[in-house]
Amino acid sequence: MGEAQKGLLSVIEKLKGTTEQEVRIVLLGLDNAGKTTLLKSLASEDVNTITPTQGFNIKSVASHGMKLNVWDIGGQRKIRPFWKKYLEKTDLLIYVIDSADKKRFEETGLELSELIDEENLKGVPVLIFANKQDLATASPASEIAEGLNLHTYRDREWQIQACSAVSGEGVQDGMNWICNNIVNKKKKK
Amino acid sequence: MAEDDSEWVVESIVGYLGSPEWLIPVTDFMENKCTVFDDEDENKLSYTEIHESYKSLVEKLLENYMQEVGINEEQFLDACTSPFAKSKTLQAVFQPVLATDDFEVFRSLMVQKNMELQLQALRVIKERNGALPECLTDGVDVMTELQQQEMKILQEVLKRSKEEYDQELSRRLLEEDFGATSSSRSLRKLTTEGEESQITTSTPSQHNDGAKAKDVQSISSCSNGHHASLVNGNTLPQTKLVSPVRDEVMEMTTTTGSGVLSSFSLKPTSECISNGAAEPTVLPAVRPIQPTINSQAAAKAWLEEAHREAGFSKPYTELSESQQEQLQQRAAYLRQQRDKLHALKKEQQKTKYTAKPEEAPPTTTTTNTTTTPTQDISAEEKKKLQKRKHLAEKLKEEVIKK
Repeated sequence: MGEAQKGLLSVIEKLKGTTEQEVRIVLLGLDNAGKTTLLKSLASEDVNTITPTQGFNIKSVASHGMKLNVWDIGGQRKIRPFWKKYLEKTDLLIYVIDSADKKRFEETGLELSELIDEENLKGVPVLIFANKQDLATASPASEIAEGLNLHTYRDREWQIQACSAVSGEGVQDGMNWICNNIVNKKKKK
Repeated sequence: MAEDDSEWVVESIVGYLGSPEWLIPVTDFMENKCTVFDDEDENKLSYTEIHESYKSLVEKLLENYMQEVGINEEQFLDACTSPFAKSKTLQAVFQPVLATDDFEVFRSLMVQKNMELQLQALRVIKERNGALPECLTDGVDVMTELQQQEMKILQEVLKRSKEEYDQELSRRLLEEDFGATSSSRSLRKLTTEGEESQITTSTPSQHNDGAKAKDVQSISSCSNGHHASLVNGNTLPQTKLVSPVRDEVMEMTTTTGSGVLSSFSLKPTSECISNGAAEPTVLPAVRPIQPTINSQAAAKAWLEEAHREAGFSKPYTELSESQQEQLQQRAAYLRQQRDKLHALKKEQQKTKYTAKPEEAPPTTTTTNTTTTPTQDISAEEKKKLQKRKHLAEKLKEEVIKK
């Protein structure tokens, strides 16, 4: 029965009949990491009127001939238990870190490692944005990568990208990595 | 599979999607759940839950339908992707099905449903009442009006909370930063109050000869105790601050005391110059009680003074027993009084030497102020003098009456 249901949903998925390749991306990270700012920056929207996200935001971005559906889910502690409801059928995880918030590096590392262990994210590529590089107190991406033990990730593609969602610096580099990676992955399929 | 076959399936599906079997549960679901869907940019977490339950509802309905009609998923898919199903008219029919897979399609359907319901409600109100109530005629204006009211309330609340905060802050500042000054200020206030109360209470005390001096004494001692406790409770610089005030108070008590004393010696003086209404200022009355006087001589002097004060012209030995007793009582009291003054002066001198060593010894100062108002006497001091004079006069009157 369960199999049949899944099948039906996949049928409906095909009903849309769009020729464009769609990619589902989930954008996660601690509160105040800059997820929504990054999302708006991706969608070329105003980043000056952003308030803490209580729910989630969705933006569709066309890039490299693909439609990227990016889901930005609030990072406040009380919302984090809801994260796993949004991981199904995810093609890529973007994890955002406030590079200047050294006090919470451990907390953000724990959240990331929990996500990595999620069944729905098995083998899903991860892009880590070391955000807020415009701040003088920001740690370099290499330091953060070491702190997160990224080099131990063997089951998936990963990339850490220094960026500033406010200025837009580094964001496009990250998106390029995503598109190249997705294209490769989908081709393999 | 033949074209006709898929066409038939499409028609069947479209028919089903227009049938009450499909429409009623789906519409029910939407109408029940759409109220939380607004057109805010940010999605609520509850949307996802609703979407999930919608998915399972649609799946169940379609499963039942396919089983009933006897088509499999592949047939269903082929039919739906056929050019016939892609026509614009049919796309709208397929929207609720597509909404299962596409959250944004689902969301827009729900937002639309919510608005439809609101419009329907407005229509119902209009039908029932003939016209819409004023508050519902212009949705935008009503909204802004409500928002304005809310803003007003919010601003008021913010203003008040800021005021409270400021008050709290200033109070804390006063308490913390100016603690020393404010406490010394209040101390000074207290001492002035003490001074005043002394003056006011000593005035009515004149009515009773016996109580009079006792009152003064008790007040002076009480105010002394008051000072002492205050001084003890404070730090050294504050003691310095207080001591001049304290000296003043002491001076007052001393002069009041000597005023009392001077009134005792009034009688003989007035007798001498045979002037019943002798002015206290010109009186030689204030015989400064020297601290050096030995107790015996002092006792004699007191006795004599008491004797004269009592209006007994005869020498002490010639007086009756009751008179003698009276005199002795008087003398004892006066001696006590002198000792008090003595102690006071000693203390006064001590404090003066620590605080204001340049000031003249208290005894002379007291005498000077009562007899010859010298130097620069402030208006306040003049007032005090006047009060003392008044006091002396009253005392004199009483004594003379006796």
